Amino acid sequence: MAEAASALRVERLTGPRPTPLIRDVSLEVPHGETRLVLGPIQAGKSMLMRHIVGLERPISGTIQLDGERIDGDAEQDASVRRMRARLGVVFEGSALLTRISAMENVELPLLEHTDASPSEARDAARELLAEVGLSVAEHAAPEDLGRSAQRRVAIARALALRPSVLLLDEPTRGLDAYAAHEVDDLLTALQERHGFGTLIFSHEVRHAFGPATEIYVMERGSIVAHGDRQAMESSDLEVVRQLMHRRGDHERRA
Amino acid sequence: MERPAATNIPVPTAPTYAPGSLSAVGGRFISRGRLGARALYWIGWIAFSRRSVVTAGVEGEVAAIGLGGLRLVASASVLVGLIATFQVSYQLAPYGAETLTTRVLAWFAARELGPIVVAILVVARSAASIAGELASMSATGEIDALRAMGLDPVKYLVAPKVLAVLIVLPALTVIADAMIPLGGWIGSTVFLGYSTNQFVEQFRESFLPRDLSVGIAKAVLFALVIAIISADEGLNAERKPHAIGAAATRAVVFCLIGVLAMDTMVNAIFYFIPSIL
Repeated sequence: MAEAASALRVERLTGPRPTPLIRDVSLEVPHGETRLVLGPIQAGKSMLMRHIVGLERPISGTIQLDGERIDGDAEQDASVRRMRARLGVVFEGSALLTRISAMENVELPLLEHTDASPSEARDAARELLAEVGLSVAEHAAPEDLGRSAQRRVAIARALALRPSVLLLDEPTRGLDAYAAHEVDDLLTALQERHGFGTLIFSHEVRHAFGPATEIYVMERGSIVAHGDRQAMESSDLEVVRQLMHRRGDHERRA
Repeated sequence: MERPAATNIPVPTAPTYAPGSLSAVGGRFISRGRLGARALYWIGWIAFSRRSVVTAGVEGEVAAIGLGGLRLVASASVLVGLIATFQVSYQLAPYGAETLTTRVLAWFAARELGPIVVAILVVARSAASIAGELASMSATGEIDALRAMGLDPVKYLVAPKVLAVLIVLPALTVIADAMIPLGGWIGSTVFLGYSTNQFVEQFRESFLPRDLSVGIAKAVLFALVIAIISADEGLNAERKPHAIGAAATRAVVFCLIGVLAMDTMVNAIFYFIPSIL
């Protein structure tokens, strides 16, 4: 593959203000590829994601999307605001707005960030939902849908503005094995079609056996290991072994 | 293999909604003032916008708070009218002045009883639900999702609620203003033995249309107090499941105090500056 420009590049990120919970984190997601941030619960994965989407202000370090910095203050900097719209986010548990219908959830970013008319937004939303394999009734509320369908709506909403990078926090948590595989396959297919970079945050090792070609292992707010699956499997760092082989606990008890 | 040396990183805590840090040091008023100003700004935007997603939110809120509260307000107001009739007539009887009962009711109903009864009922019914809903949205990450998409939660969640309460509270007050005299009429005719004519005559003599407008103006103020305090409590709730109930309780407590304080202030102004109206 010819040199792929990074869709997302995080460099030496430390934050948030005033008490840092993540320190000196660097990672890179090329277009069309998948990266995994793997780590135990409370390792700082969600905090890292909150920085990337702009919910927390970093103390130092940079975040670049397609080569443009997005770590500034969106309230003052219109270009940051514009660039952040090119970031698709699927939060843990989907985080759909429950007061409006599933369809309106997908329309919302289009109505807010583009000049689409309500009827154009509705058509686009229907198309996006078809793309994630759903046809929902016009007024179906998010809570009327199953978990797997909710996750798909969240993915459709995240893709509405054709992002460069899709961030997914625990994308298959709460799904049974079958539904989880379906979501994996869906993400792979969508990525092939649209070429966005994907960054998955999870504590589930199963993602290491999916499309992610490189894995960042995070513990206590820092990246402690980085490499492909083979490198991780042969790592002798205990946290990596625990995550990859789930046997640290047994060993310690023995 | 040793674990990496502990770097003493504190356990991540729920990041609070920005004005929350102010309320932590006792700046509740600042937090609410800022929220109120932003909500009013977005209400202005809603009024002129053709985008439907937010406007649809207002309709839903009006239905939930207004139509849902209609039966409660109507029946409670009739009872309040009855209670006032019995109480006033009982108190005035020793002075042989029980014929003034209807007049007293007419003085009080629109100016004081209507707005305050409605405000307290709406606090009981809706303040807890507004705060609880926003607190649970905060707990499930919906509010963060909005902000991450570049959408202001005040515009999408708070402004429709504030606008809905601003519409509903004066409307319910007008209904209460009609139902309290109905209770008074039932009390006076069925239990105290007055004729309907006497009741209507006395009521008309003592009732001033401007009392109605004072009552409605009060309702508007109460609406702002209720909507903003309960929304603020909801947005500032901790991100834990049990925080939802706590936020709802705090919202009810602060709304009741806020409404009563506001009412005291308005009455004091009318007392000390009678020429104002």
